[in-house]
Amino acid sequence: MTRMKLKQLNLQNFRNYEKLTIHFNKNINIFIGNNAQGKTTLLESIYFLAISKSHKTYRDKELIKFGSLFSKIACELIKDDSKIKLEIIISPQGKKVLINEIEKRKISEYIGTFNVVIFAPEDLEIVKGDPANRRKFIDVEIGQISPIYIYHLNQYNRILKQRNEYLKQVVNNRIDYNYLDIVTKQLANHGSWITQSRNLFIQKLNKYANNLHQYISNFVEHLTITYYSNYALETNEITPEAIFSLYRNNYQRDLIKGNTQLGIQRDDMHFLVNGINVSDFGSQGQQRTTALAIKLSLIEFIKNETHYYPIVLLDDVLSELDDVRQTQLLNSISDKVQTFVTTTNLSGINDELIKAADVFLIDNAMILKREGDSNG
Amino acid sequence: MHYPEAISKLIESMSKLPGVGPKTAERLAFYIANKMKEEDVINFAKALISAKRDLMECTICGNITDKNPCPICQDKTRDRTIIAVVEENKDLIAMEKMKEYRGKYHVLNGVISPINGIGPQDINIPSLIERLKDDEIKEVILATNTTIEGESTAMYIAKLLEKTDIRVTRIARGLPVGGGLEYADEVTLLRAIEGRREIK
Ligand SMILES: Nc1ncnc2c1ncn2[C@@H]1O[C@H](COP(=O)(O)OP(=O)(O)OP(=O)(O)O)[C@@H](O)[C@H]1O
Ligand SMILES: [Mg+2]
Ligand SMILES: [Zn+2]
Repeated sequence: MTRMKLKQLNLQNFRNYEKLTIHFNKNINIFIGNNAQGKTTLLESIYFLAISKSHKTYRDKELIKFGSLFSKIACELIKDDSKIKLEIIISPQGKKVLINEIEKRKISEYIGTFNVVIFAPEDLEIVKGDPANRRKFIDVEIGQISPIYIYHLNQYNRILKQRNEYLKQVVNNRIDYNYLDIVTKQLANHGSWITQSRNLFIQKLNKYANNLHQYISNFVEHLTITYYSNYALETNEITPEAIFSLYRNNYQRDLIKGNTQLGIQRDDMHFLVNGINVSDFGSQGQQRTTALAIKLSLIEFIKNETHYYPIVLLDDVLSELDDVRQTQLLNSISDKVQTFVTTTNLSGINDELIKAADVFLIDNAMILKREGDSNG
Repeated sequence: MHYPEAISKLIESMSKLPGVGPKTAERLAFYIANKMKEEDVINFAKALISAKRDLMECTICGNITDKNPCPICQDKTRDRTIIAVVEENKDLIAMEKMKEYRGKYHVLNGVISPINGIGPQDINIPSLIERLKDDEIKEVILATNTTIEGESTAMYIAKLLEKTDIRVTRIARGLPVGGGLEYADEVTLLRAIEGRREIK
């Protein structure tokens, strides 16, 4: 059986951690601690090693412990029978990523080795927040399994920046249609690729999330996820040529606005529960259920795409879920997924889970394994 | 605290170099003043002046040279029918190190990049187009970098030459020599596939 496990984590000057080395043996690991002791930070470091970004901030510098010059995080992973060492060094000048001591120049060469799914209070923003939250979600999750997606996305964003700058400068000038055509063609090439991947991703997500949502809602609700591509083309029409001609038809508008009006930077996705858009009209509970269903569906999605179950990080969310939701979550995890759970106390957490777990206490960035849980 | 005037002038000059911040500039300035031998400092100053006074852009190809036209443009043994278009002088030097290429060059001295305020007219594209009016030229090799801007610039030039008889080629990109497929990252593989060519 294919399996992936996090065996060891090392933090140095990462937020409130000065130095930490911790080993993991169990599939389920629970971290208990009061507020502001370093629970979220611990999960954030694991997430960072996988995705090379934080789920909380896009400014890497914030992760460096106050007063330190740099931060270093590393982990040891077991994938099937081989050991993999991942390492990231964050400094104010940027970050360096290494796999098995070898530096990777491109982030796209780094991401994908280690997959995680995090459940955090911020998840609700995917449902409730503005479209940028949903695009970020899509990009991170496709990026996790496809380095080529990251490549296309980076290329697209760079061309978009050049094109927008050109549109801004050209207003009172003569327009060089030769140059405009070229950046537009480049944009259309990458835009087409990205749109197809997003389309496929959302189709798959829809399939998994639908089943999960029905179960969590006791079969009274039905979730449908739809992709709103800004190009608004039928699936079989998504080609660089078709997209290029869409852009061409918009040249005048772009030139007047001094900005690219069309493209994947305007994409969105909608969540319909029993036909109603939950982002705008859902109740708190419906929004939570939707967010949970989406996150849960990622576990199966990643497993199917990569053949490995991702590592699951649950930040302070378990005790917030009622019995049905906790059970569904635990079924998804069962004994096959390595899981890291944080909480301020154990009450409200499923007994079976606690019995199967290693329990750690976090106190001011110090972590101690709670002994006496005599369970193997 | 105030620096002696000679030091603050030196710091100011140093700070004008790319990649040199105020701290480094200060360190270099004091190093020159305190640690370097007078003879070395004089040679250094002479080299600086001569780099500026004696060097110029070749009016034909844009190469940095102390003779105009540059030795490559003057070399009668090189193939006048092929021109390799490169971004920078250092790219020309890299090509020359290979010792295989016997055509001529055109150094753009940059790439088209609106975010840096650089348009087609701001690099050596007009002089290239002028040069290509010469009937002798049969092929242009676009050897700009594989960055977004290098790519746009290559496509831009190709477009300008669309209606001429000149053969326009783009350097191949992809797998490093001697590396097996299994060692290449996915993006490199993708680019190698994109740049594939027929062999039959
Ligand atoms: N760059 C930094 N340098 C030093 N300390 C930091 C840095 N960034 C955050 N902190 C501190 O780290 C501590 C731990 O934060 P963390 O979010 O991990 O707490 P937590 O255990 O998850 O708490 P809660 O239960 O409230 O969510 C906080 O006191 C925070 O102020
Ligand atoms: Mg927290
Ligand atoms: Zn010359």
